[in-house]
Order: sequence, then C-alpha cells, then structure tokens
Amino acid sequence: MSVASSEPTLEIRSKARSARHAQLRVFLTNWQAMLGLVLVVIFFASAIFAPQIAPYDPNAMDIPARLAGPSWQHLAGTDQLGRDTLSRILHGGRVALTIAAIGVSLSLAIGLALGMLAAFGPRRLDSLLLLIFDSVRSFPTIILGLATVSLTGPSLGLVMVIVVITSIPQYARVTRTAALVLRGTDFVLAERSLGASTLRILWHHILPNVVGPLLILAAMDVPVVVSLEAGLSFLGLGVTPPTASWGTLLNEGYLVIRNSSWMVIMAGMPLVLTTIGFTFLAEGLRDILDPRMNRGR
Amino acid sequence: MQHLLDIKNLSVDFHTLQGRMKALRNVSFGMKKGRILGIVGESGSGKSTVLWSIMGLLAPNAKVIGGSILFQDQDLLTLSEQARRQLRGEAISVVFQDPMTSQAPLLSYGRQMADILYRRREMSRCEKRGAAAEMLGKVGIPDPAFRLDQYPHEFSGGMRQRAGIAMALLTGPNLLLADEPTTALDVTMEAQIIHLLRDLQAETEATVAVVSHNLGLIAELCDDVVVMYAGEVVETGAVRQIFHAPRHPYTQALLECDPARIVERPARLPIIAGELPDLTSPPAGCIFADRCPYTLPLCRTEKPPVVVGTDGGLARCHIQSGAVAARVPGAVMPAASGPLARAANEAPLLETRDLNIRFPTEGMLLAKLQGRQPKGLDAVLDVSLTLHPGETLGVVGESGSGKSTLGRAILNLVSVTTGKVLFEGNEVQSLPEHKFKPLRRNMAMMFQDPNGSLSPRKTVRALITEPLQIHGIKERDLDREAERLADMVRLPRPLLARFPNQLSGGQARRVGVARALALSPRLVIADEPTAGLDVSVQGEILNLMADLQAEHGLAYLIITHNLPVIRHISDRIAIMYLGRIVEQGPAEEIFRHQHHPYTASLVQGVPQPDPDRKRAHRGLKGEVPSLLERPRGCDFVSRCPNARPLCHEAKPPHRGVGPHRVIACHFPLA
Repeated sequence: MSVASSEPTLEIRSKARSARHAQLRVFLTNWQAMLGLVLVVIFFASAIFAPQIAPYDPNAMDIPARLAGPSWQHLAGTDQLGRDTLSRILHGGRVALTIAAIGVSLSLAIGLALGMLAAFGPRRLDSLLLLIFDSVRSFPTIILGLATVSLTGPSLGLVMVIVVITSIPQYARVTRTAALVLRGTDFVLAERSLGASTLRILWHHILPNVVGPLLILAAMDVPVVVSLEAGLSFLGLGVTPPTASWGTLLNEGYLVIRNSSWMVIMAGMPLVLTTIGFTFLAEGLRDILDPRMNRGR
Repeated sequence: MQHLLDIKNLSVDFHTLQGRMKALRNVSFGMKKGRILGIVGESGSGKSTVLWSIMGLLAPNAKVIGGSILFQDQDLLTLSEQARRQLRGEAISVVFQDPMTSQAPLLSYGRQMADILYRRREMSRCEKRGAAAEMLGKVGIPDPAFRLDQYPHEFSGGMRQRAGIAMALLTGPNLLLADEPTTALDVTMEAQIIHLLRDLQAETEATVAVVSHNLGLIAELCDDVVVMYAGEVVETGAVRQIFHAPRHPYTQALLECDPARIVERPARLPIIAGELPDLTSPPAGCIFADRCPYTLPLCRTEKPPVVVGTDGGLARCHIQSGAVAARVPGAVMPAASGPLARAANEAPLLETRDLNIRFPTEGMLLAKLQGRQPKGLDAVLDVSLTLHPGETLGVVGESGSGKSTLGRAILNLVSVTTGKVLFEGNEVQSLPEHKFKPLRRNMAMMFQDPNGSLSPRKTVRALITEPLQIHGIKERDLDREAERLADMVRLPRPLLARFPNQLSGGQARRVGVARALALSPRLVIADEPTAGLDVSVQGEILNLMADLQAEHGLAYLIITHNLPVIRHISDRIAIMYLGRIVEQGPAEEIFRHQHHPYTASLVQGVPQPDPDRKRAHRGLKGEVPSLLERPRGCDFVSRCPNARPLCHEAKPPHRGVGPHRVIACHFPLA
C-alpha cells in the first residue's frame, strides 16, 4: 500500500515544487527585486561583520588627518576628530540592524496580536483599540521622542520603544482589516461548526492568511525605522557619542558641513541604499506572494 | 439563413504558471440573425472565453492564436482597439452574471444610463434621461422616472438584473450577449427574466447569445444551441434537435445528468465519470474519449470529423450515423415508503419546536428608554421540524427564506430567540459553547461554497483530520485516518497533499463531506450541497451522500433552493418562505400535489430541459418582500394569485392535512 501511494505523492510534491520554482523565476527575472536583495544582503553582512571588515577602530582618533576627503587611506574620509568615516558607517550599521530587527519584529508581533484581538474580540474592545491606534498615529513621532527623552535621557532603548510604539498601529490595522474579512468567510464558520475555539481559529486559520501582507509591510517598514533612528539620533535623542550610528554621523557631518561636505554625503549614502534595497525587495516579494499580481505575467 | 456573427477556427491560449493552456481549439459556429443562441457547457468548457473573445475583452494573459470572428462582414480580430471600442456597447453589448458587481455602486441608474449614451452628442441630457426611463419601463421596472434616481443597492436582485438588461439594450445593439444571466437569481426571478429576454428579443429582433450551464434555461429561451466541452464545440443544432435527439455522447450524457429530467426516483443519479482533460496538453484524439461510454480505439488517436446532420446541425464524433444505442435507463427504485414507515416508530433525532430567531436592528438601549421591545427582523418564525435517524429532510426556499439561518441555529452558530431545539431528546438551544462542543461530534455541517469553506492555507490531510484534533482524539493515527476518510469519499489519496485552491469543485466538496463525517456524526446539515458544482458532478456527490447514509445511518437536513435536486434525495420536504414553513410533507406527495400556492409555483417554476415543455404560466409576479416589511397577514399575500381579504388580515396557522402533511394557508389548493 505504501509503495502504491508513495509514487503519486512524489508527483504531487514535484508539482508543488514546480509551482514554487515558477514563483522563484518571477522573482529572479525582476531586476528591481534582485537589486533589492543584493543591497539587503550587503546591509546585513556589513553590519554583522563590521569589526572584521572595518579598516580602522571606529573610535580611534587621528587629529592631524581630520576632515579629510575620500582617499585610499580613508575611503569615505574622516570626521573632525580624524575618525575613519567608513569604519564608523559600518559600525553604525550594527545599530541600524539592531533597531530594524528588534523594533520591526517586536512591533509586528504585538501589532498582529492586537489586530486579531480587535477583529475577533468584543466590539467595545475593538473600538477602544482603534481609538488608541489612531491617537498614536496622529501623534508626531519626533515630538513624542522629544517628550520622552526629557524624562529618561537619550538612549538606544528609548529609540527602540518609540519605534515599536509608533509602528504597532499600522500592523494592527492591516491585521484587523484582513482578519475582519476572513471572520465573515465560510471556512471560519465551518471551523466553528466543528467546535474549534477562537484561539485555534486565530492561530491555525487566520494567522497564516494575514501574515503574508504583513511581512511585506515589515520589509517596507525597515527603511522607515532605520531613518527614524537616524532622525532621532541626529536630534540627539538616540544613540549618544562616541557610539557610531548613521544618525549621529549625519549630525556630526552637519556640524562641519562648512568645512567639508563629504561626511554628510558619505553618512547619507547607506541610508539611501538601505531604503532602496528594502523597498525593492518588498515590492518583489509582493509580486510573487500576491496571486493577483501573478496573473498577468 | 444569414449569419450575423461567424466564428471560424477560433483558438485561444492562456499563459499560466503551469504552461500554455489551450483554452479554445478551432471553435467554429455561426449566429443566425434574429435568433437566440445558447452556448452550453460545464466549467472549463471555454464558453465564457468565446464570449469575451467576441467582445475583445480577454484577460491579459490570454492570446488569440488563430481564427476569425466575422461580424457584419468585418473580422473583429483584425480591427484596431479603437474600432472595436466603437462596437462595444453600441453594436454588441453584454448582460452580466452578477448585476451587483457589474453596475457602478456610486452612480444612480439615470447617470449610468446617460453615460452609456455618451456617443450620442445630438441628444440633450433630457432626451437621454427620457430614453433611459423608457427602457427601464420596457424591462418591467415600475415608476421608471423615479427609479432613475436610485442606486443599485436600492434595487432588489431581480430588479437589478432587469436594469442590467435595460442598460445593455439602451443603444439598440444588433448582438446581445448574456453571460449566465439568471445564475445569481432565485427560481421565481429566473422565470421572470427568461420571459423578459424572450419578449424583448421578439420585440427588438436583436440576435442574442446566452452563455449558461443551465439546461432548463437554454431549452426555454434558445432557438439554437452550441454545446462546448473542454474548449471545443462538440455539437451544434436547433434546440429541439439537441434536446430530443442529441448526437454527441457528451450532449446525451449532460442531458441525462440534469436532475430536472429525471422524474422517477432512481437508485443512482447518472453521472459523467472522469475529469476534464489537462488543457496544457490536450489529447490527440477526441477530447471526450476519456469519459465517453462508447469510446473506440479510433477515438483516442484521431480527431473526430465534423459531420453535418440533415437539419444543418453539426457534431464532432466518430460514431455518427445515429447508430448509438439508447442507454439503458438507471434502475428505478420503488416509491420511498421505507424511511417514513420506520420514522413513525422511532424517536426523532432532531426536533425543533416553534423556533424563532430574531435579529435586532436597533440598539437595546434606545428601545429600553422608550419602554418597548427593540425592533428587529424575524429570520426564522415558528419553525417546527422533526428528523428521524436515517432520514433526509429537505428544506427548500429562496434567498431570504431563513433556511440557512435555521441550519446554523441548530448547530448553535446563531442564537435562538425563542423555541426549542431538541437533539436526541435533549434541549440544546443556546447552550454555552463549552457545553455544546461534545455535541458537535454528533452533528456536522457542509457549507455552501465547496472551496470557500476550506481553510485556504491547510492541506487536505490537515483539513479532514482537524475534527479529531479539535475534539482531542489522540488514539487514532492521523495519517491513517486521513487515508480512511479519503477512501470513504472516493477522493484519490494523492490529493491529500493538495491545498484547497488546487482542487476542483467536486473534489473540494468531497473534502467537505470527509471532514463532516470524520467523527461519524449522526446528523449532517448540508447547505446547498450541489451549489457551485457542474451537472455531471452533482450526481456523483448526491450518490456518495446516499451511499454514506445507507452505510452509516446518517440523518440529513438538506438546505437548498434547487427543487429538482432535493426531489431525488429527500424523504420529506419543508418549504420555507420569509422564515416560515408554508408546507411540509413527504417529497413524492409534494411533487405530485401541492396545497400551498407558493409550493405550486415553485414546483411548476422549475425550468424544464425540454423545449416542448416550456413553463405554462409565467411564474410568480413580484419579488420576495424584505424581512423588514413582513406583511401583517399571510407572508405570501403580496404574490399569491388567490389572495382573499382574510389573507391580508391574519397569519394562517399551521395545520395538518392528511398524514405527515402540514400547511400554512387559509385557502389551500384543492
């Protein structure tokens, strides 16, 4: 019996695999998505291996060589204390990666949970959550940052908290809308008729169906979060000197822009590239994950 | 006779991720001027692709790879996009399947219809409005001048389809295409639309093409018929030829499968075994060879020739001379007296007593402040039913009759307002979920949409074994259980690894049956078990349900609007109208003789797949009233042909007429 049934099963598996291959082909032939993927990989690799690849200690000062332009010695020039900008960018990438990874995944997880709760919970809870989401969204992020920093003092943790608080509503709203649509479908009713608990329905049947768009949203959110950190650090609310982050680099470059514009240009570059990378990657992912986008190809 | 439209060797490919799907292959047929042509076929036959090829509105991944479509001496396929656009809406227009999605929701009808006339620069806005109102009047919409300022959501389903027809006819097209024009409508509405289309065609002398899977509609409405199967035309001919002397085995099989043709209650419903061929690599020989009962070796190697019949009809079949022996009709089962006789002695499995379900339409607070009951609508009103073990009860009604709500209330998915639901003698209505959960092992539900009721990201294996997990049954091996259930519903085991969107309608329905039966329930509530299935597959599912009933002693409560289907599987029938049961009794008796005028119009309103047995009368006038405006007297009073003053005053009580028969009518039909 097992011999007889194993053969067709293999065939089915290979069919499913070929469908996946076709999706992969769509992705691989999309030059934007590939460029995005390459940039994102570079971002991750350079942040993780920053200590190995950075040519100098990011905090080593070399006063005589201060405010130098790009040269073979200092590929991205130096700052007003003679620190190597490339090394500082690479190390700053670690801060950006930490914020992006932890901030985005935390807000995704919390947003997902709250969104499903809003969709499937009592209607009053839904209204309350919506009110909270809208209040948070309508509050300017920078003002929120300024207000909290006056209470706690600047720190990386604070940036993280602000990132999470301000990004939760968008994940929760997307989840809620998708879950509300699913709540009215026949298959959810069918599950209830089988006796499935709400928790089981949420975990087994709603979650797999809403998580796809959320991952795309998360990929698009990474550059937002990274530039938010840069923005807050630029204003002196986030990472404190001498730790390198893309925001503090921009800030320092801004202070010396009259003497040398290289620092601002060089510190802005990774921000631009990361943004492009994640945006293109997210759009590519959307094209292969969203069946409606597939049809015309 | 002159042809208005001639399609020659039309071939269309679809580019999909699985490869090139050859959706149409050498399709040729003509449309005679001033006649109604029916294009009939099951899903996957390519009938809609033909229609959209004529309009030039194929999906972007479709490509016309050959052939021509001659319309008024020009080949539509060689025209520029601009020239084709000139024809659309002017010379050729379309009536869509679902008027709710094909009409602009935020524009009034007056605005939408004036827009259709945008090319008529010489007409003033007033004249356009006048033309629109006149056309609305023509399609039977009362008070058209007032209705022009209304929006689609303010129209009922039947009205909306009438307006859709009015829009299509507004420009006086030579060719009117109708894509499943009655599929979204109830039976009584369908009859009205068929008559409307016939009358309008006679009046305007337009040429009409109707695409449908509904043989009854085709037989009643059409003069000529084209039968399509898997992207090929297998037979064409005059309607009487097709329905009375079909020459292609597929046409024969399709007609045999239509439940409305089967008057006797057969032991098994006829089916067409097998599945559609894979259209990415269609077989070399006859496209129907795999499922044909008469296949010769020749059929598998060579394309059948097109043979012209004496009447001008065509058929593509190797066995052509009419020498095909008539098939032996299925063995006829003796009248169903068994379950009824048995039922009297046994305790009922399920019973509802004066069940009422009321949905509030305003808040409790407001009503409390004003010191009265909150307003609401009664979805289910005084429903009393009994169902014995091993018995099948059919609940029949149009949309809004409360039949689905009733099914859901029995399963505690909708809360009951008053009345009782007894399962095995115990009251189970409005129990908290944790107390009801153990009962769910004994009652299961099959939902209307076969694919939509399956969780899309789960494999079939996970879906059909889920009831075991939900109820914490650990002693059974899930893989073995999945295989057992798949075998039970005759679902090929390899399909266990698939996802719902990779299943055909019939396969998805089998998964639904398997899931419902996973815990060996005693009661199965089936909501439209044949909805969304092709005629040839309907029989398979109903046969399967009958087999499983015989094997496991299941009791079925079948909820449907489809009378011909219910006739073959039900022991007893209850007819619902506006949430109330108007007539109840043994199936055969109800079909033989109806006491309630509504039942009579439903039974006689079934479209007959026989061009010589067109419905004698025009069916019911008007539409099902809104539940919010329930009449004070009899619910049916506004549409009843024999309403008398008493009917306007008092609701007729339920009363017994003979054994097993209950009706609610003041003046039952003799």
